[in-house]
Amino acid sequence: MNVKAERITIAVAGAVIGLVSVALVLLGNPANMGFCLACFIRDTAGGLGLHRAEAVQYIRPELIGLILGAMLLSLFRGEFSVRGGSAPMTRFLLGFFVMIGCLMFLGCPFRTVLRLAGGDFNAIFGLLGFICGIVAGIYFLNRGYSLKRSYQQTRPEGLILPAIQLVFLALVLAAPAFIFFTKEGPGAKHAAVLISLLAGLLVGALAQHTRMCMVGGIRDFILFREPKLLIGFCMIFVAAFLANLMSGHFHPGFADQPVAHTESLWNFLGMLLAGYGCCLLGGCPLRQMVMAGEGNTDSAVTYLGLFVGAAFAHNFALASSGKGSTPNGRIAVILGLVVVTVIAVSNTFNKKEA
Amino acid sequence: MREYIATFYNHFGAVRFERELRKMGAPARMMPVPRDLSSSCGTAVKFQREESDFSDFRDEHGEIEQIAEILEKSYRVLWKSQS
Repeated sequence: MNVKAERITIAVAGAVIGLVSVALVLLGNPANMGFCLACFIRDTAGGLGLHRAEAVQYIRPELIGLILGAMLLSLFRGEFSVRGGSAPMTRFLLGFFVMIGCLMFLGCPFRTVLRLAGGDFNAIFGLLGFICGIVAGIYFLNRGYSLKRSYQQTRPEGLILPAIQLVFLALVLAAPAFIFFTKEGPGAKHAAVLISLLAGLLVGALAQHTRMCMVGGIRDFILFREPKLLIGFCMIFVAAFLANLMSGHFHPGFADQPVAHTESLWNFLGMLLAGYGCCLLGGCPLRQMVMAGEGNTDSAVTYLGLFVGAAFAHNFALASSGKGSTPNGRIAVILGLVVVTVIAVSNTFNKKEA
Repeated sequence: MREYIATFYNHFGAVRFERELRKMGAPARMMPVPRDLSSSCGTAVKFQREESDFSDFRDEHGEIEQIAEILEKSYRVLWKSQS
């Protein structure tokens, strides 16, 4: 496939993903949240009772579909490759703080685009922070930052996370008494399980096929002036914007935006932390989930970090709400920026083998 | 001279490889990994070399994933990491 054909493919995939995202809102998902990796991981952690924020507890089938969709297509294309062992604890910690940053802003990079497409101008500050975070990460990338290479692992190792997703699917379908389901709040807003699952499968397969990644898009554009991956997210924006406009879901402004707050500084700093951490991880949360589906166990460990980060965020009042950020959340974001910088510096300069 | 492309396990592997080739006076340029070559999304290095035999090639730093020759409409993998 030449560069032009690759760009057309990713543009079409982006448009489809944008339309799917708005369709999920029309079918029941929270506004401007047809798809959000951070929110959905947070909801899933709540559904399993790892945090007790009653408004956000629901095992999201979109995430299950996303990982399984990426896995199935990669198996079909012969690209399922089990690899790992590249600094798992560091990746866990980076994933943890990426989630803290995302929940300060209330969304992952994917939802940042969807919030913009819904007219939520607060997301502009999130996007600026995200770009600045990636620039900070690139500074270290070009000076020797490396979490060392990964190695081949056994096939069962790579199948554990997809198998866990099947357990999650069984739990959301069977709805046993020990699983939590939000009665009122964003967690109660969802499309039917099968629709969410199919949407996830489709987005997972498209993202696997195109390597869609918000971090990769901005990174490649800055480093190589290559817009390919960025085109995907631009098309998500364009398609979602047009679909929102036509369905009456475009409400421009700062105030009263769905599942969002107006504290520009903390929107900026939250996504600065997310962009910084994601750049050091090598991909945004969407890409991490897709790579986990392709058998990358380093990405699976990152997913665990995101998961635990989401549980901590709600157990210790770190996550923002529509009312704004919390004092604990502000401290956690500052701490996160310090920790991520320590990780960046210690894996860039004077590296010594143990 | 034929054109080749190398993919890496991490970004810095590409930075180092490009730097070493340039030091030796060989034309080399970093670029995103082409989709046809890999489903990973890191950084690759495009370079030229007289020698087309890679059977004796040794990856000193253990960072190279594969090296492929750039053909008109496809790639031909010439060397692949064994780990």
